[in-house]
Amino acid sequence: MTAIKNKIESILNKKSNASIRIQTLGSFQIWRNEESVSSKEWGRDAIAQLLQFLIANRNRHGLHKEQIIDRIWDEVDSKAGQQNFKVALHGVNKILEPTRKSRTEAKYIIRQGVTYQLKTDDIWMDVEALDDFVAIGNQNLVDHPTLARQAYYEAIELYQGSFLPNRLYEDWSSEERERIQLAALNALISLSELLTKENPLEAVRLTQKALQIDATWEDAYRIQMEAYFEKGNRPMAIKTYKQCEKILDQEFGIQPLPETKSLLKKIQGVQ
Amino acid sequence: MANKKEETASFMLRFTQKIFENESGEPQIQWRGNIRHVQGGDEKRFSEFDDVVTFIQSHLQDLTIQAMEDKTPEEQKGILSKSFDLWKRMAAEAPKMVMDTIKDPKKQVAQIQDQIQDQLSHVKDEIGQKLDIDSWLNSSKSDSKLILEKLEKLSGDISKLNKKVEKLSKKK
Repeated sequence: MTAIKNKIESILNKKSNASIRIQTLGSFQIWRNEESVSSKEWGRDAIAQLLQFLIANRNRHGLHKEQIIDRIWDEVDSKAGQQNFKVALHGVNKILEPTRKSRTEAKYIIRQGVTYQLKTDDIWMDVEALDDFVAIGNQNLVDHPTLARQAYYEAIELYQGSFLPNRLYEDWSSEERERIQLAALNALISLSELLTKENPLEAVRLTQKALQIDATWEDAYRIQMEAYFEKGNRPMAIKTYKQCEKILDQEFGIQPLPETKSLLKKIQGVQ
Repeated sequence: MANKKEETASFMLRFTQKIFENESGEPQIQWRGNIRHVQGGDEKRFSEFDDVVTFIQSHLQDLTIQAMEDKTPEEQKGILSKSFDLWKRMAAEAPKMVMDTIKDPKKQVAQIQDQIQDQLSHVKDEIGQKLDIDSWLNSSKSDSKLILEKLEKLSGDISKLNKKVEKLSKKK
């Protein structure tokens, strides 16, 4: 149990101690030693694009330069692509390490031959922290529900919106956006399930949050029905079922699952 | 000439699997999902794969039309017809492949694995190690477990029924 607590603490401490903090969820922002990097410092959009691409692909070790150029600047010819990369790489290094002396090795953007990678050991990133918290929550859901709850709350707090919303139409950002959104939904559903009996109104709030992300998430409706029922609010539980039924019909042309229908029967059956 | 961006259409496809029992207690499976055209942001939810095919087809058609604005009407007609033929061929095969994968994921993944394996051994024998794709099989394992449980239950029920029939026969 102490090990899990320490793990949670270490993620929270990293946020306080890291010299670089990056927010990618809901908006894109960087803090260097607690100071926000101003839009003036960013200059060309290519600089932000390169850093965001490296963040989205941080787990793919060593990205080939040509591969990066092809994915980010596929609309320009090879020469312009090379130029963009050179300028953007210089810009990213300048943003992350403004006082680094020329001809010294970069601390965060690791170059090996023609491959590049973002070294995240000393960088705190919301997406990485969210991943870690969801993993802790999932791993301890059965044996240590109190710690799982804390971890899920931390994860939910971090999900301020879509991953890199300003790159919504770039295909290189889609995979990470989808993955993180599902992780956030998972955290919301698991946490609301944990709280249904103990704190039904909080479970309702969490399921509403899940439905803001995906209005067709049937598990969220079912937990919300249970929570309202637990609270003794039968009309709201039935109303939630009706909403679920309506949206599933509108969006998929299907009915709620038998599990959801049975719950409705149970709720209607109690006078 | 059309630049590279106009030659690309990416689609993000999400499937959500629901396994449940119907009123007769038989296990059922349902797939729900949504598809998003990344460059345009359009999104559609679906429970039938045909809707996915139509969605993709409509966006690919737009892409083709945009890319041949500078062509003559005859050329446009020819290209569009060829594009449609290509899509028809792909659309005929793709849902089958997806449905086969849903019905028997292990077999399909194993086939893909074998295909990759064949290609790898052609390219270079020394890198032809078996790819570890066990992690891809999680959902199919749970499917198999559920089906096995149902089969075991069914087998037990049949056995009980047989005994009853035998008893009745003896009474007669």
